[in-house]
Amino acid sequence: MSEPSATARERPVRRAALPVFVLALAASLAWLSAILLAPYLRSRGDAAASSFLYAVFAPVCHQIPSRSFFVRGFPLAVCARCLGIYAGALAGLLAYPFVRGFSRIGLPAGRLFLLLSLPISLDFAGGAFGLWSSPNGLRAATGFAWGLILPFYFVTGVVELVLWRSGRPLANRGEKT
Amino acid sequence: MNGSASTTDGRGPDYLVPALIAGAAAGVLSAVPLVNCLCCLWIIGGGVLAAYLLADRTPGSLTAGDGALVGALTGMAAAVVSSIIELPLRPFNEAFVRRLAAGLSRFTQQMPSQWRDLVERGNTPRVFSPGLFLLNLFITAAIFAALGVLGGVIGVSIFGRKKAPLPSPTRPTEPPQGPPPDGTV
Repeated sequence: MSEPSATARERPVRRAALPVFVLALAASLAWLSAILLAPYLRSRGDAAASSFLYAVFAPVCHQIPSRSFFVRGFPLAVCARCLGIYAGALAGLLAYPFVRGFSRIGLPAGRLFLLLSLPISLDFAGGAFGLWSSPNGLRAATGFAWGLILPFYFVTGVVELVLWRSGRPLANRGEKT
Repeated sequence: MNGSASTTDGRGPDYLVPALIAGAAAGVLSAVPLVNCLCCLWIIGGGVLAAYLLADRTPGSLTAGDGALVGALTGMAAAVVSSIIELPLRPFNEAFVRRLAAGLSRFTQQMPSQWRDLVERGNTPRVFSPGLFLLNLFITAAIFAALGVLGGVIGVSIFGRKKAPLPSPTRPTEPPQGPPPDGTV
């Protein structure tokens, strides 16, 4: 039996990758919107809705006001570093189709991950050991750099899971960015 | 499951034990006051730990799908552990934020009304509600599962690739030169 052509091998990957990408993009947009919506609703006096949104983000962030950006006088639902990570993840998702495309999946190169992890690691370590206290802008910037690469792991992992579930073969696995 | 790494006895890898160990660690660390300042990174770290434990128990290489699955389970386990531990620790967490906000307010002439509102929010004792607890657990599990997937796939990219065993040499080994040590022919 002859090997399937490259296009035939890419088709199931594209069929799985596109919905995963669209769902991840929608979830990322909703997540960031909710972060901004929490202080906005509080400023409008809608305590119940804003408290619910703050509570949703409480398990994933310390929400310390001094480490958060403010909107209309109230802190965002997550700290500056977390905001940077989530904004970076959204930017990475928007770049995903141009960098990776939908016909192949693969994990980013380890060196690229280490390179983008270095700023946030140094920033956090300096703060944890009391060497310096970064301004919120720097926390957000280092978080943004790290967040950029995360969708390339997330989408790849979820697409592989979807392909397993449907019992389809994987095409072009293990390629590096 | 098709496509995943397999163990030597032909069964699929055991995702549950690494997920429970890593989930318990991540759940505890994300709930304890002061230590929880690492935010979502504890859950991502838990996913990485789960992938490491899975790679340690699995002879073959792991795929990103393996990492995603073990990471999702880790996130869910972490959500359960974190939610349970957070119940008795909640007053400490709230007191910490309250002290921080009150301390910062000393640097201003007058505490802004928004800050006062935030501090007062922390002063109001909360009543435990099973319904709210379950809702919170459900939302947290969904969020932690997504973060765990991320950690699991990152972990597989670090620990999941293993070198294939070297093939046995095809060339027959040459007999030792010279007479055997005991002198027999």
